[in-house]
Amino acid sequence: MANGDATVARLWLWAQRARSTEWDLVFSEQLPRVYNFFRYRVGPGAVAEDLTSLTFEKAWVARERYDRDRAGFGTWIFAVARNVAIDHFRSARPTVSLEEAAELPGGPTPEEIAGKRSDEARLASLLARRPDRERELLALKYGAEYTNRDIARMTGLSESNVGTILHRAVQALRADWDEGA
Amino acid sequence: MDDRMLHEYRRDPDPRFARDLRERLRRLEGRRPLAARGVVRLAALAAGVALVAALFTIPSVRVSAQSFLELFRVRRFAAVPFNESRFETLRSLEQGKDHGLLVLDKEETVLDPGPMRYVPSRQAASPEAGFAVSTPSYLPEGLVADSVFVQGAGAMRLSVSEAKLRAVLQRLDLNDVQVPAGLDGRWIEVKKPPVVFQKFRSPRSRRAMLVQARSPEVSVPAGWDVERLAEIGLRVLGLDTGEARRIARSTDWRSTLLVPVPMNASTFRQVTVHGQSGLLITTSTRGQDGIRREGTMLMWTEGERVFCLQGNLSGHDLMQMAESVS
Repeated sequence: MANGDATVARLWLWAQRARSTEWDLVFSEQLPRVYNFFRYRVGPGAVAEDLTSLTFEKAWVARERYDRDRAGFGTWIFAVARNVAIDHFRSARPTVSLEEAAELPGGPTPEEIAGKRSDEARLASLLARRPDRERELLALKYGAEYTNRDIARMTGLSESNVGTILHRAVQALRADWDEGA
Repeated sequence: MDDRMLHEYRRDPDPRFARDLRERLRRLEGRRPLAARGVVRLAALAAGVALVAALFTIPSVRVSAQSFLELFRVRRFAAVPFNESRFETLRSLEQGKDHGLLVLDKEETVLDPGPMRYVPSRQAASPEAGFAVSTPSYLPEGLVADSVFVQGAGAMRLSVSEAKLRAVLQRLDLNDVQVPAGLDGRWIEVKKPPVVFQKFRSPRSRRAMLVQARSPEVSVPAGWDVERLAEIGLRVLGLDTGEARRIARSTDWRSTLLVPVPMNASTFRQVTVHGQSGLLITTSTRGQDGIRREGTMLMWTEGERVFCLQGNLSGHDLMQMAESVS
């Protein structure tokens, strides 16, 4: 698509400031992917929005380097996003949100939780329990909708390794889900 | 819990959050140094080609009801291949201190189209677009409607500098090209009607986008030799004398928009959509990350409206989608 985006500019170039339109397209294309990457990575809510904003602000100022390679910008912004996520987890205090607190031993039973929460909230809770590497790969796969091949290139893992980790992660999520965790 | 549920955990960002972030990024742009802004001003693909090749080789010519202007509107598309190395040369020229704006003397925004704005549906986009927004009834397997954006009307005017154009031609060693007199100080006016963008996507990273708008209009001063200027634009794109002249003379400027297509990364062919002539372009490029990506774009017109359907689908899928647009 990104390459197609570049071609679209040729069409509108003569009629307006193509750069502006083209980057608007890139923004509208990448924003949902970056936002959902963080949604899967840190959960829904204000934190995901804050980290999305931080990622775009860091990436946007240097975007002219990618004037001819919007696809390259997409890859690059995810490199920024991954670093933003790492910084976030490094600096995060070991606090527990009220929502997470409900998952600690001594809280409501799984049945009670399941009865109160939507499937989405349950999934968010289960995602939060996955190891960091699994969660990043899940975020890239399902949040940013990258293929295993793309994820392999971005993370330096082999494609088969990416597939294996994701398979295990999904299996583990399914097991937790079925157990009513 | 299954794969589907994991995909469905995705959510569109809150529109207010998206709008606020876009505005914040725009303010960041405003704070960037002037030099950097100049560098990117025309760097979107056709850089300097924008004015010579695009404005001059563009669209259909038709005499306006107004007495002193000629209006250009799009009725059909045709491809003109060019070598990307020429683009690199133009890009470097544009970035040079002596060629800011390349061949432009002045550029003024008359009406800022603003950023693309999310709208909840194509029906909601119609009043803003000024027409009933069309959509494909056929979507390739897995593809679903995703989101709709509208960008408002825009208008700008610009003037060409004969001296700058001569300097660019000289730098390109196009010493046989004569610049017609009478370009200096004359305004070219560009009006862009609102544009509607409909995005489609699948869980497996297939993407498509339908862009539609009324034809933009380009007004140039009466008396300009459009055929001659088109020939200059084609030479700037890298075509040799004979080919540039042949295309400039044989093209029906009343009905044709020439689309520059990089010859080393693309294939293109004329097609028919709804009985109208269209242009199907397939590109394959390797990005800075080393990944090769393919894209397909289909452009056609219907009445007063221009359409562009593009994505990472096959040409066949794109054609089927286009034929179902109503």
